[in-house]
Amino acid sequence: MLFHFALIVGISAQQTFWIVAQGYTSLPHSIDPFSRKAADALTIALGQDLGLSNPARQSLTAYLHSAGIEGGYGFFAPNIPSSYKLVFELHYPDGHVEYDLPHVSGTATGLRLVSLLDRIGRTQYEPLREVMLKMLAYSAWQEHAGAATVRAVFGYVDVPSLSELKEGKKESYNFLYAYDFTFPSSSNAPPR
Amino acid sequence: MRLRQRIIDFLFAPEPDAWLTLLRLGLGLQIIFYALSFRHDWNIVFAAEGSPFVSRDLTEAIGKIDNPLGPQIGWFIVLGSHLGLSEQMTLSILWLLLLGAGGALVLGFFCRTSAVIAWLVHLCAAQSGDFFAYGLDNLMTIGLFYLAIAPLPDRYALDAKLWRLKRIDPARLGFHRRVLQLHLCLIYFFSGLTKCLGAGWWNGASIWRALTRPPFDIIPIEVLASWKILFPVVGIAVCLFETAYPVFIWPRTTRLVWLAAILAMHMAIGLSMGLFLFASIMLVLNVAAFGPRSAMVARQHTPAEFGPTATAASLF
Repeated sequence: MLFHFALIVGISAQQTFWIVAQGYTSLPHSIDPFSRKAADALTIALGQDLGLSNPARQSLTAYLHSAGIEGGYGFFAPNIPSSYKLVFELHYPDGHVEYDLPHVSGTATGLRLVSLLDRIGRTQYEPLREVMLKMLAYSAWQEHAGAATVRAVFGYVDVPSLSELKEGKKESYNFLYAYDFTFPSSSNAPPR
Repeated sequence: MRLRQRIIDFLFAPEPDAWLTLLRLGLGLQIIFYALSFRHDWNIVFAAEGSPFVSRDLTEAIGKIDNPLGPQIGWFIVLGSHLGLSEQMTLSILWLLLLGAGGALVLGFFCRTSAVIAWLVHLCAAQSGDFFAYGLDNLMTIGLFYLAIAPLPDRYALDAKLWRLKRIDPARLGFHRRVLQLHLCLIYFFSGLTKCLGAGWWNGASIWRALTRPPFDIIPIEVLASWKILFPVVGIAVCLFETAYPVFIWPRTTRLVWLAAILAMHMAIGLSMGLFLFASIMLVLNVAAFGPRSAMVARQHTPAEFGPTATAASLF
């Protein structure tokens, strides 16, 4: 039990220190280096700096995931992030363009789509981001198989603050990335 | 010695099994609603190919880098293929298994097996869908993990009526509830602390952003604008209720107020942001941990009602 709670406290504290170290909080930036050191020390204590093939790390990680304690509890903290949005531009051989959004049939699954877009937005590794967007674009292309090219335009939604709303500012869409994908119509193989 | 004894008394305070009934029933219903919310998308979301999301193969391949021992839906797909089952058939069986486990938990039928199945299938779904998982999955895993290791069945379960089972040691029941209670205290403390570190929770900006951020913007922005005076108060209240949860949830005098405030907060989140499943899992965990017949009440019962508690010390 002590071990279990040490893990919960360790991971929660590590995440909190990491948030402070990134400068996401209203705390003075002078404490950022201390927070970074504390987060690093906890990462070592939790065995997360061991090699990925280390059996101790693998066992510990499996336990953390199985008990649901692999992440911290900073939901919507310290601040609320922006929402990401993905729009598909479907370019047809005759030159006309249609627009579509990723869609799912259930509301609950729609919340998961938001999580996926958040994940894509946070992904720093560009090839992975491209593969994820390619898979989503492929799904859109399957519903518009006549399209020659699918352009996946990824951005974030800027919601006006209260004061901006008073000044008449509306919700705006800000561009981050765009990728063009071509899927040969003879191929049924999904993108990898 | 006195400190050690006090810790033992705290951890193994005898409890009746009403909290476990609430946890079993609540998580059973939660699993049913979770499975039903996925009913149209389960097979396509977890398909290796043709998923409207990111393919399961990619998610599992990336998940395996960090957690190679973690269970995944792919395990069952491979098992199913050895038995001649298609991917779609195996996925359908998994979904039915999850729904069935939820129903069995509500009835209290084969409690342990049902709890383990629900935990395992949900965990596989959370791992294989890691790219689109959110806080709900974390908290459901926590609840199902504790239920799977809890001293089941409780006296209201069908199992207890059907089979002649030995009565569960109340000290064991008390210990398992303590673990859940302490975990909830840590969840709220760290959640509240990280919110306190953001300026937006003190001036109401975070409440505004949370309620206007798509797709949680179910209340019209004009209506929200008319409530602007409330946002700083609500933001500070959220910080206070969460960070001080480990302090005020234990004393008998403040427990009911704090529990009511936290439950109201989760209901408000569920209704105003459409996060119904997230709200319901938090309600279930809170009511099971600090709801009716808490340890404070249990102490008022006679020792005879609970039986011997010698195992308490031996377990420690």
